[in-house]
Parts: sequence; structure tokens; C-alpha cells
Amino acid sequence: MKSPVFAYAAPDNVAEACRLLAEDEDAKILAGGQSLVPLLALRLAAPTTLVDLRRVPGLTGIEHEAGALRLGAMTTHRGIERSPVVRDVAPAIAAAASLIAHPQVRTRGTIGGAVAHADAAAEWPAVLLALGGHVEVTGVGGDRTISADDLFQGPFMTSLEPDEVITSVLLPVNGRQIWVGEHHRRHGDYGLSVMAMTYRQDGGVLTDVRLAVAGATGSVTRAPDTEAALEGRTPADGDGAVAALAGELSYTADIHGSADYRRDITTTLFQRALRAAGERSGQA
Amino acid sequence: MSFAHSESPSIAARSIGARVPRGDDPRLLTGRGQYLADIVLPGELHACFVRSSAAHARIAAVEVEDARALDGVVAVWTGEDAAKFCEGIVGELEVEGCVATTMPLLARDVVRYVGEPVAVVVAESRYVAEDGCDLVDVDYEPLEPVLDPRSALRGGPAANEELPDNVALRGGRVLGDVEAAFAGAARVVEATFHSGRLSAGPMETRGVIADYDWTSRRLRLWTCSQMPHYVKYCLTAYLGFPENECEVLTPDTGGGFGQKAHVFPEEMLLPLLARELDRPVKWVEDRRENLMTATHAHEQFVDIAYAFDADAKATAVRIRATGDGGAYHQPPWSMGVEPWCTAMVTPTGVYDIPVADLTYEAAATNKTPIGAYRGVGYMAGTLVRECLMDDAARAFDLSPFEIRRRSVVREFPWTNPQGIVYDEGSWLQTIDELESMVDYPAFRQRQAALRAEGRFIGLGLSVFVESSGESTAMGKAHDLGGVYHDTATVKMEPNGSVTVTIGLTTQGQGHRTTMAQVVSDALGVSLEAITVRAAESTTYGWGSGTVGSRGAVIAGGAVLRASHTIRTKLVALAANMLEADPSDIDLVDGAAVVRGVPGSSISIIDLATAVYFDQSSWPQDFDPTLEATLAYDPARPIFSNGGHAIIVELDPDNGFVTVEKVFSVEDCGTVINPDIVEGQIRGGVVQGIGAALLERLVYDEAGQLVTTTLLDYHMPSMDFSPPFEIHHLETPSSHTPGGIKGMGESGLIAAPAAVLNAVNDALSHTGTVLHDIPVTPEQVLRALRS
Repeated sequence: MKSPVFAYAAPDNVAEACRLLAEDEDAKILAGGQSLVPLLALRLAAPTTLVDLRRVPGLTGIEHEAGALRLGAMTTHRGIERSPVVRDVAPAIAAAASLIAHPQVRTRGTIGGAVAHADAAAEWPAVLLALGGHVEVTGVGGDRTISADDLFQGPFMTSLEPDEVITSVLLPVNGRQIWVGEHHRRHGDYGLSVMAMTYRQDGGVLTDVRLAVAGATGSVTRAPDTEAALEGRTPADGDGAVAALAGELSYTADIHGSADYRRDITTTLFQRALRAAGERSGQA
Repeated sequence: MSFAHSESPSIAARSIGARVPRGDDPRLLTGRGQYLADIVLPGELHACFVRSSAAHARIAAVEVEDARALDGVVAVWTGEDAAKFCEGIVGELEVEGCVATTMPLLARDVVRYVGEPVAVVVAESRYVAEDGCDLVDVDYEPLEPVLDPRSALRGGPAANEELPDNVALRGGRVLGDVEAAFAGAARVVEATFHSGRLSAGPMETRGVIADYDWTSRRLRLWTCSQMPHYVKYCLTAYLGFPENECEVLTPDTGGGFGQKAHVFPEEMLLPLLARELDRPVKWVEDRRENLMTATHAHEQFVDIAYAFDADAKATAVRIRATGDGGAYHQPPWSMGVEPWCTAMVTPTGVYDIPVADLTYEAAATNKTPIGAYRGVGYMAGTLVRECLMDDAARAFDLSPFEIRRRSVVREFPWTNPQGIVYDEGSWLQTIDELESMVDYPAFRQRQAALRAEGRFIGLGLSVFVESSGESTAMGKAHDLGGVYHDTATVKMEPNGSVTVTIGLTTQGQGHRTTMAQVVSDALGVSLEAITVRAAESTTYGWGSGTVGSRGAVIAGGAVLRASHTIRTKLVALAANMLEADPSDIDLVDGAAVVRGVPGSSISIIDLATAVYFDQSSWPQDFDPTLEATLAYDPARPIFSNGGHAIIVELDPDNGFVTVEKVFSVEDCGTVINPDIVEGQIRGGVVQGIGAALLERLVYDEAGQLVTTTLLDYHMPSMDFSPPFEIHHLETPSSHTPGGIKGMGESGLIAAPAAVLNAVNDALSHTGTVLHDIPVTPEQVLRALRS
């Protein structure tokens, strides 16, 4: 379990990182390394250059501005989990961070790295998708913004260009209720089903519902039929949405559970989300 | 026949029985241990293995020239190169019906399981060695893989041509009139169980360093083995290294659990490489290799039936245990030990069942060889016996405690139908104790109340008897061969401090602490004055291996016998100096005292100093050697016993099983150190929870191992470690030092049955009864929805 040979670079600015990425089509960004380094050790990935972002200033930090959380791409999961700002503005996001792996991994792994990696069972892509967030990226040709809906293209696939670096992740949190949950066998395992649901809630009625599922499906995905079936209804009136969710997604099978099982537990996860929404409206 | 080394002197327990903190902990828990990977020899090379990617294939060609040409690669060997020195290592179990196999050091012509070593690359670093492995091109011509053990035994292609009918082991015994017993039964309860394929999963993987000096012909081999003397024997027997110039060293070892109680091809190859390349060679196994190629464990299919009379007492048992053995016998335990033990040793357990029909068989399959793992043979055997007992309890509408009381042995000594004699035990008391610990009526009330709320809890019971202190007598009692004994050396220095060396290696069990407690009581010296060295090198002592719950009994006996020799000298000297009769001298609290004469005493330090430096104080004919090496091997087989009651809750949202609480009763005779005994129980039970709920090595239909990382092979983590309540019963052995019995395997032996029983109890309203482990969340969810 030793990696193959690679060149290593640790630039001190984003432009230099982009240039290094542009020069070597088999280069990879190292942004914490908690997924990439195991892949190297298993020789499942063999990039020729690793461009380490740890020395680039300005890529970490958490700000709450204009109704959104702006998370520097190199902000660690642990940093988000423990951030007073996140805990105050969107405690569900801090709680979502705590679902990721174990403290050792959360201390090094970063939100930008996780989003760019786009693991089918990871928490951040589901959260980003459910919040309708976006990422800010810099490439050789300049800066651009990519919405979550446009970013995720499939398992381990994004619309990032090879020379592009995510610099920050934006999560619009104001006015939205957020619920994140998952079924995992042991704490720190990849979820067998991961769900993030966000919505506005007015007088018990849910509007602007966005629902993202990971882990149970081949890649992180929204469930538009389910969202539509819940739109304008109360959480107690969610039977149609439950039925829609069971029908609209394609569930994966592996040694940890069949597709039917994953459908079943994704349904119970959604029912938990609905119960939580009901309890919130009860408190309001 | 009787032998001196089977007799142990008596001992007065003072330190024995105390919760002495483990002396190793400050060093190990602060990261100061020296494990195999921490050892760096000057000029060392690194080995990495090319392992078969096919379950069963003919090797058409192995192309190694690119690897040999890589900068930094020193050597590449294939099966042909290794075979010049050794044809392979032979494995078999010395019982009726076992057919031996020879495992090549590197596969030649045919590969028989995924992960089998095909070539080895030796290079200046592990990185380069792995680069070299990537350049070795093996051309495999696929052969049909043999994957299902039960159909393999009915015919078809052979997994290993040495076993053309795939029968690696087959035998059994019929004891009493089985047909009549089943024909006359009031009720027959039967089931087929499957216990899944496991990895022992030690935290530290295997590893070997070999260093050969051609000027002296001296070989030093570091390996984290549980059986270093056996490894040394193999180096001599298979490879011809001279025994007197061959040393096996065992550094700190991060768990073994039986996996490291074998000899492996890697341990035989590295000495040859070191000798031929004239440089030290190191191999540290990675986790993927460990999951793929270190012995697998426990997998069996078991058909079992009990006949009961109208009073719900068991009258007969019929069992067929079929092992899914893998491609070879891994010496010395082989693929036979699992099904053989399940069928021949465990079916009657603590129950008085006079009639038995016992059949064992092991099938060769194209999978990793099965070997020993904590509770070998006993875990699956206890699973089927104790789970069938709970099935019977439901059939008779009796409590799980009552069904067991109807059949439990109450009179000792007791001889089971196989002829094994149990001298003593607290078998009935264990059942009664667990029943009161769980407060059974209150549990049933709580269960009913929660069920009404849509919550599902269940209680599972499992009781066991465990053979312990693996010995020559134990082997004979079970119709197995083998001579076992260990030595210990006890040496007292001029200042009264004591150094103890034992023949057992230690993998984290706290032997250094428990053995110091034995010496402290034998010699009357404080624990601080005692240093215990586990078998760090085969240069010292003799040991038959840290296996079979031997440590406390065997090392304890040897240490006590050696201590007693020193004690006798100290007593004689003290009697002379104090002008008292030796029979009136006691050694206690650092001094020799004259019983009944207050104030008449001399410190052990002064005695030790006098032995070395003051001849005038010696009695007539005194021999001043304050060092003794003695062996121990108990005269009779020693059995401990106990049980677990486990409460689980099922999550109706996802089928997950959570263990709420474990109640354990353990009777290992005299307890040397309750903290260490309880640690063994906790660790073993959590491994059992893993076996019952999480751990499963999975092969696909092509014979590829799917679970090659700990992301897929789920071991229990701290959130699977439930609260425990542990009670000790003490029924001392009348044959061992101080009445000690071994107990290192009891948790894993009995916990899986308790967990499965608890799950089935929680599902009792559904009509579903599960008989396979691990229980999957999907099975539970499906049962709850049915």
C-alpha cells in the first residue's frame, strides 16, 4: 500500500496551482487527501503530479454574508463542525459535518476536496445540492461560479475543468430549514443512505422543497418528483411524496444492501425528515 | 504415566486476585512499543508479493524481466526459484480422515486462491518493490473455481488436485443408539446454521524480517508469531538452517487471535532471500494482504438436531459440520480443526446428552485457507448448540434458562459421550446467576411494553464450557496427538529483584503483569521488584505457543514451579540464619518470617545478598544457584465455563441491531487479575458481536474477494462496545497452580450465539427465526416487515 511515483508541488497562490494543473493533464489537487491518499496507496489512482493547496493563503475561513455561508475550499470538516458561526446560523450543517468519518479524517479533510471528489456517498455534495448552493472556481482562463445542480455529473464526476480549483463553497442558508440525516452501520461509515432536505416553512406548509439523496443511489441526486409532491403540503400530508421517492430514484446494490433495502431505508430516512419538519412547525 | 512437570506446588494468594494495573500499559498506550515495522536493520531490503488475481488458473507464463530491470529492484523470484530450496509446507490435522496438502512458498503452474503469492520482488524500498510488482506480468489461463463447499463435496472440479474429490477431512463417530433415541423422542428440534467467513483482523498485520550472517551461518528471524518455537522448527525442518544458529525474535505484537499461530510461506521465503542476497529483508503486510491472504476463519455449515423427551430434556444429538476450508491446509491447525472441533467436541457442551452422532468434513475450495481464530471450532459449535436450545425453548414454551436447566450437567466429575472427563464446573450456577442478573420477569415486562410502542428488544442466552490451558492431556482427551509444555526461568539478583522469562509470546494479554503476580506470591517479593520477559527470543526457554487459552495456566504453572525452586533455597537459608525449622518459614511482604515468632525475620534482599556474597550464612550442602528453569504441562485437561446474556434492540427504520447490554458470568477458577480477565471478556464479546452483526468476508461468483479493505470488512468499533455487567464464579481446578483455569477465548466462543438468540427473541412476534451469522440489517428489516 505505497503510492506510485508522482511529482509534488505546493504553490503559494491559486494562479500557480491552475498553471500546474494545466501543464499536466494527469495532475490532481491535494486538498486534505483523506480520499485521494488511500486511492494512491491502493494504486487505484496514479496522478503524475499532486498540486497541494495547503500553502495557498485565503482558501480557509467561514463567513456569513448576504444570507449565505461562504466556506473557504480548504476549510476542514472539523473546522465547520466546530465553527461558532455555522453552529449559530445553520446548526444542521455543523451536525452534517460531524457525520463525516472520524475526527482524524475531519481534521484534515476539506469541504472543497470533498465536493470536487464527488463521492456518491459523501455528505457535502448532498448538502450543497439540497441548499441550491454553488462553488466559486478559478481556472487559467479566469473565475466562474458553478451551481450545485450543474456541478455534479455522476459518481466522482464534476463539471470542473482540469485546470480549475474550487476556491469557496457557498451555502444559502437564510430563511431555509435544513435537515440532514443518514443510515450508517457504525459511526463514521459511509452512509447506506444519506439525505439532505431543505425547505421554507410557513404555517406548517412546506415550499421551495429541495431534496438530495446520496449513498443509496449511484451518485448524489435530487428527487424532483418527491419535491413536487411535497410542495405546498404539510409534513403530515407527505404520503404522496413518500410514494414518489420510492418510485423515482434508481437504487444501488452491493454487499451492504440490496436495491430494495436501500429504497426501504431511504423511505424511512425521508419519513424522519418529515417528522422533524412536523416537529419544527409544532414549535413555531 | 506421571511426570514431575505436571505437578505444581501450592501457592498462597496475596497479589493473586488483585486488580493490579497492567505494567505494559504506560509504554504501549503512549506509543513507545517497538513493533516489527519499527525495527530497521542497516542495509535492509523490502519484499513485496505479486499475488494471484485469479481464484483458480493455470499459470501459462510469469514475465519478470521488466521488474528485474527496474532501478532499485534487487531480485525477483517466482515459484521455480523458491522450489529449488523448498517444495512447500505440509499441512494436516492428526485425526481420522484428514488428507494432507503441500502449500508452495510461491505458486507454480497453478494458482488456487485470490491472493496466493506468485512472485516476490525485493527492492531498496517498499515503494520500489510495489512498482516492481506492477511490472510482473502473469498470464493466467482460467480454471473453474470451486466456491461452494457442500456441492464441492458431491463432486465436480477439484479446487486442489492433491484432493481430487475436494475432501480434505471426513470422519466421525456414532455414540449410542442414535436411531432409537430420535425415533423415541417426544420432539426433535433441528436446523442448519451458517457461520460466516471471518478475519481475525489483528490491529498489527503480519510481518517478517530475516537477517543471515554467512560467517556464522546464523539466522535471525523477527516475526510477530504466537508460535516462535514452531516457526524455528519449520526453519530447520523445511529450510535446513541449523537449529543452534537459528533465532526467532518476537517484538511487541499488536494482537494475534490465532491468525499469527501458523507458519506462512512468507516466513519461509524471507530467510532464503536474506541468505541468497546477503542482506536483511523485511516484509510488513498491508491491510489488503491481511484481509486477502492471512488465514480466514470460522466458516462452516452445520446441520444439527436434538431429540428431547417429554420433559424437555435433551436425549440425543446429531450433527454434521462442513467446513469451507480454502485451497490448502495452513499448518499447523489446518482447515480441519474448525469442523472437527465443532462436531467432535462441542455438541453436548454443558448438557447431559448421552447419545451422539457426530460427523465432520472439510471441503477444499478456491478461497484463502481457513486457520485458527480465537475460539477455533468452539464458536460455531457453541452457536449451533445454544441457538438450537433457544429454538427448543420456543418449541416447548419454556424460558431459555429453564430449557437449559432441564439438561444441564449437575454432578461432577462428568464424562461426556465422547469420553472427555470434566472434573468440576459451575454449569448450573451459571444459568441461575445469569437469570437473576438480567431479572428475567422484569425483562419480559419491559419487552412487552416496548413492543406496544413499536420498539423491539430481545434477550439471548448462551452458556459454554471452554477447554483451556492447551496441554498434552487435553490433546489426549480429544484423541489428538501433540506434546505441549512450556518452560519458565526465574532468576533472583543479589539485591533481591527477580527476572522472569516465559516461553509464551504476548500479543497484548498482560502476561507480564499476571506472571509477576504469581511470582510475587511465590517469593514474597513486591511487584516492583519483578521483571517479566515474554518469549522475546527462542534463545530463552521453550514454548508451545500462545494458543488455546494457555497463558495463565501453562506459563503460570512453569513460573510457579521455577519460583518454587528459588523459594526452597531462600527458605533453607532463612531457616539457617534465623535458627528455625524450614517448615516454619514463610516468605511474605519482602521478608522471610518465622511463623508464630513475631520479630524474627530477615528481608529477602538480605537473603539474596547472602546467597551471592556471604558463604558463612549458608546451610550445609547449599547450592547458590538462584536461577531455575522448569517446565509445566498439567496432568489433566482443564475446562473453564460461563455464559453471556445479551439484550439487543432492533431499529425498525433500518434493521440495525444495537447491543444494549451484556451480562457475563465467567468461572476460570482462581482469578489472577480481575481487570485482565474482564478485559478478555469484553474484548472477546465485542469480537463476537462483530462476528454476529458485522464481519463477513465476501467472495463473488468468480471467486474474487470483495472485502479487501476495512471500509467493506466491518469490524466492531467503540460504538459497538456495549456496557457490561460481569460476575465471577470461582471453582478452582484441583490440578493447576492455585486453581487457575484459562479463559482467553470465552467471549468470542459464546457471544455470537447470545446475539443471534437475542435477535430471534426480538423477532419472536414475527415468526422469523434466523440461523446464519452475521445477521444483516436487511434480514432484520424484512422480518420486521413480514
